[in-house]
Amino acid sequence: MIGVTNKSLILLGCPELDFGKSTSSSSRKLGFPKQRVPVSFDFCGINKGLSGSPPVRSSFLAPLKAMDGSRTSSTASSSYLNDKVANFPEIHLSGCNSDDNVTVNDCKDVLKTSTVGNSTNIVWHKCSVEKSDRQELLGQKGCVIWITGLSGSGKSTLACALCRGLHARGKLTYILDGDNVRHGLNRDLSFKAEDRAENIRRIGEVAKLFADAGVICIASLISPYRKDRDACRALLPDGAFIEVFMDVPLQVCEARDPKGLYKLARAGKIKGFTGIDDPYEPPLNSEIALHQKVGLCDSPHDLAETVISYLEEKGYLEP
Amino acid sequence: MATLGNSANIFWHECPVGQAERQKLLNQKGCVVWITGLSGSGKSTLACTLGRELHSRGHLSYVLDGDNLRHGLNKNLGFAPEDRTENIRRVGEVAKLFADAGLICIASLISPYQKDRDSCRALLPDANFIEVFMNMPLSLCEGRDPKGLYKLARAGKIKGFTGIDDPYEAPLNCEIELRQINGVCPAPSEMAGKVVSYLDSKGFLQA
Repeated sequence: MIGVTNKSLILLGCPELDFGKSTSSSSRKLGFPKQRVPVSFDFCGINKGLSGSPPVRSSFLAPLKAMDGSRTSSTASSSYLNDKVANFPEIHLSGCNSDDNVTVNDCKDVLKTSTVGNSTNIVWHKCSVEKSDRQELLGQKGCVIWITGLSGSGKSTLACALCRGLHARGKLTYILDGDNVRHGLNRDLSFKAEDRAENIRRIGEVAKLFADAGVICIASLISPYRKDRDACRALLPDGAFIEVFMDVPLQVCEARDPKGLYKLARAGKIKGFTGIDDPYEPPLNSEIALHQKVGLCDSPHDLAETVISYLEEKGYLEP
Repeated sequence: MATLGNSANIFWHECPVGQAERQKLLNQKGCVVWITGLSGSGKSTLACTLGRELHSRGHLSYVLDGDNLRHGLNKNLGFAPEDRTENIRRVGEVAKLFADAGLICIASLISPYQKDRDSCRALLPDANFIEVFMNMPLSLCEGRDPKGLYKLARAGKIKGFTGIDDPYEAPLNCEIELRQINGVCPAPSEMAGKVVSYLDSKGFLQA
């Protein structure tokens, strides 16, 4: 019996719900016709199945591949967010948190907590759906494309062109634009050096989450200091951080001056403006460097295709 | 050009590929499922189960777990009230980005203060914030005590622990409330099924 108010759905008892066992399996991808296929899988060693799902309306999805028991019942202390082993004690969702009905005092397992930074008494919660599952669903590998360069070098323009090119190939991307993120998550930060560092740190952490979700995340921000960019690189598995350097001379950027900021900076109305009175430290080892000379600029589409070719070559456009 | 908060001289950069295009690609609508409740009420378990249920139906979701985020983005925050507020604010902003990306974002954190949860709700279009209240009694949560924190809190070794010496403000208008039935906690798969049904009925499981 379910009580439903205007806004609340109160679960009072659902005898009609019966997630019975099932046996067959097949793979699932976006973009392919879906069939209703029941699924069985191991969930922390407890064999439970799901009945056939409610009637499917989608015409895009292929049948589901059953998740490996080996993945879901893993007891290795592996990171939820990437393939590196993390030394965090983690909860495997079994015992009193399993699919069994529980009563009070059923679970006496106590997990060891840890302290990270200022956060005390936390544990790492591992989930049975992992990055590889999402990547298979999406038909791509999650990664971070980090576009760095002076203001006016064309970062946002490239990000959009890249997004468009990848979307046309059926890939899921998301842009984290420095300015846009400063409208929300980073609205509490200024342009002082320590806030720039925190701005970049937070964007790096969010980009990492997107990559873990299987998304090709395009971060587009000046990110002038090498140390900060390197710290973001260190958050991700090798190869999953793709630094793209918009190597455009200051002269070209200033001539463009799309936001009128160089003019303000030259007039002394903005202090600490990158390229004028604050340094830009070019990458020493970027994966891709897009050189633009005075009077000779490739189109955003062509620049985007360069990046897409790189992604293709490295296998990011397949699961 | 605008000044927002502490950021001056910033612009909004538009892109031709927007939320609608991404949602069409994913065949779903982006939203935030915000699971709130006491420590030990089963939020992370529900989040994980829900993620699995959605994945089995070919839908892309992502769990933002309060503890997990405190390992990364929010590792510079403690548990003082202002830090809890900032923690929730940041998770809300990130969840908003994920919803904009077209994902079904499952946020799982105690989020004890009504005001903070309401601020997150206000970040999204009205129907796209789905608050799920794990309304489990303190006695059940404390009986489980999966991280041993209630024991430490009762012994006075943790201060300001929600439910013991810090308040939990129950939601007044959540979309979904999950409770015990005759003193028994429903199975996570059953509770996840309720959330999936809700999402389906509201059109989130199609473009």
